[in-house]
Amino acid sequence: MRSSPSLDAGAARGGLRAALGHQLGVFGAYFAQFLKVRLSYRVDFAIDLLANLIQASVQLAILSVLFSKVPSLRGWSYEQVLFIYGFSLLPLGLFNIVSVNLYRFGERYIVEGHFDRVLLRPVNPLAQIMFEEFNIAGVNEIGVGVGVLVYASTRLGLAWSPVDLLVLGVLALAGALIFAGIFLGLTSVSFWFEDRMGLAPPVYNVIRFSRYPVTIFSPLVRLFLTFVLPFAWVAFFPATWFIGGPQARRLALLTPLVGVAVFGLAYHVWKRGLRRYASTGS
Amino acid sequence: MSLNRLITVSHLTKDYRTSRRREGVRGGLIDLLRPQRRVVRAVEDVSFTIDEGEMVGYIGANGAGKSTTIKMLTGILTPTAGEVRVGGLVPYEERQRYTRHIGVVFGQRTQLWWDLAVVESLRLLKKIYEVDDALYEAQLALFDDLLQIRELLHQPVRKLSLGQRMRCDLAAALLHRPRILFLDEPTIGLDVVAKQSVRNFLKETRDRLGTTVILTTHDLGDIQELCRRIMIIDHGRLLFDGTIDELRGRVGDRVRVRVELWDPAPASALAECTTGLPVKWEEHDGQEHAVEFSRRDVRAAEVIRHVVNARRVHDISIQEPTIEEVVRQIYRTGVVAGTARSSEASPHD
Repeated sequence: MRSSPSLDAGAARGGLRAALGHQLGVFGAYFAQFLKVRLSYRVDFAIDLLANLIQASVQLAILSVLFSKVPSLRGWSYEQVLFIYGFSLLPLGLFNIVSVNLYRFGERYIVEGHFDRVLLRPVNPLAQIMFEEFNIAGVNEIGVGVGVLVYASTRLGLAWSPVDLLVLGVLALAGALIFAGIFLGLTSVSFWFEDRMGLAPPVYNVIRFSRYPVTIFSPLVRLFLTFVLPFAWVAFFPATWFIGGPQARRLALLTPLVGVAVFGLAYHVWKRGLRRYASTGS
Repeated sequence: MSLNRLITVSHLTKDYRTSRRREGVRGGLIDLLRPQRRVVRAVEDVSFTIDEGEMVGYIGANGAGKSTTIKMLTGILTPTAGEVRVGGLVPYEERQRYTRHIGVVFGQRTQLWWDLAVVESLRLLKKIYEVDDALYEAQLALFDDLLQIRELLHQPVRKLSLGQRMRCDLAAALLHRPRILFLDEPTIGLDVVAKQSVRNFLKETRDRLGTTVILTTHDLGDIQELCRRIMIIDHGRLLFDGTIDELRGRVGDRVRVRVELWDPAPASALAECTTGLPVKWEEHDGQEHAVEFSRRDVRAAEVIRHVVNARRVHDISIQEPTIEEVVRQIYRTGVVAGTARSSEASPHD
């Protein structure tokens, strides 16, 4: 028999680092599990890959056709636009890997009631939802993105220093964080409205604007993409670190700040949604 | 005051706000502008305590407030008023930390991953709850011993029968050796054999691991076999909290004795031989008779002795009210005593 029925003993396990380690371990376990299941359906896997390659080819073809008619877009060359496009696939791919359940959160977790199960486990609820399902297509997008980046930077004659590579990684993660923030914000709406369709699909369509230099758009669209739905920060601003002038480079380094701000705001809304769920149970 | 009190629930109350929909397109438009909101009190001023190692049955009709109470005890819901304390923690305030100490099984919904083999679900849970290898192996051996799950381990959850799935769900809920196990309708939809295996498992769990168990059920067989203590909730109020014997006592402890005589006789003849006893014979003629009385007033043996002394008796049977009947009676009287609370609230507050 235990001496005293207190649950506190041994409950606190070594602070934030241990907690993070735990969440990462869970993420790893989920991902390994997912890969195992996914790879066992080899045909599906091949179809995914093929679909992504076709999608990328179409987008590249559109760019080529466009630039066969005009030499440059407001001063941006084919290779530079190509570079931005290649870069945009990195944050998008990273985000797509973990975002599947964000889109169906309202239906699957709130309406069908799987959210209670999530709340009964000692892992951050948002982490559980994002890690419970992965989209392997995101890996393909990253692969295509790297390919396009290598091609474009060769044509541009860019020299990559180790610092550039580090910056590339950080900026790509920051871009993914911006995506995650925007869609987490939209997902959190499900706590207040039983909205099966959601705002996510139309907003997802706006992502394609992130693949072009934001300066080619009208001032209004430019403002919108910079401050309202900040997709300009996902690829264009970060890419200027590599292909823009010295002034643009400084702007690129703001990307992580934008990422943290957007995600932080969305996570705040999510937490409020959690509190609401706890008081209404629906 | 008990020394090993684990759960303290005091004046727990939960209100839901719902909006009532009007009919038709016109109604839909009006709803949009002026929703008809009302407050429904799902749980009202419920208080109880549970000691470590107790196995408590929590029963009530659909919508009585069972699930709402369980959700507050497991930390999913925050109460409107009152408090839950479990071993020094407030579940809904420190939910993530609290979940390490509890296991939860919903009979209607699996906690396992649908597409994964059972063993893979268990391995994920091992990671989630940070169960070390030694405990994991020990628990798996125990579950195989009690639930025979080894043969199921490599099947995907979606291919299991309901009974098999429930066995695996129980194993999953107990893998991290929680101090408290919450079960919501654990035997719902199961056949007799599967039901028995679940009940046996729960008994063993309590005896071997000392787990505190709280279960809600419609099946009073579960209660009768597993729980010394039951709590009955209706219309959000706790109507009864005590042992099954106390429950029987509270509704008067009625007993019915059926007597089959060798020779036909009128009821008055039987009444004659039990003169002085506080019993009432039903008006029958012939060989079969029945008498009803309260055990508090007279013992069944006394009544039978009087009959057997006076008459030649062919057969005797004693009928006790089933727990179902007792509970039904509690509901009947309880509904009169309690009141269903719902009050209109202004739509803009």
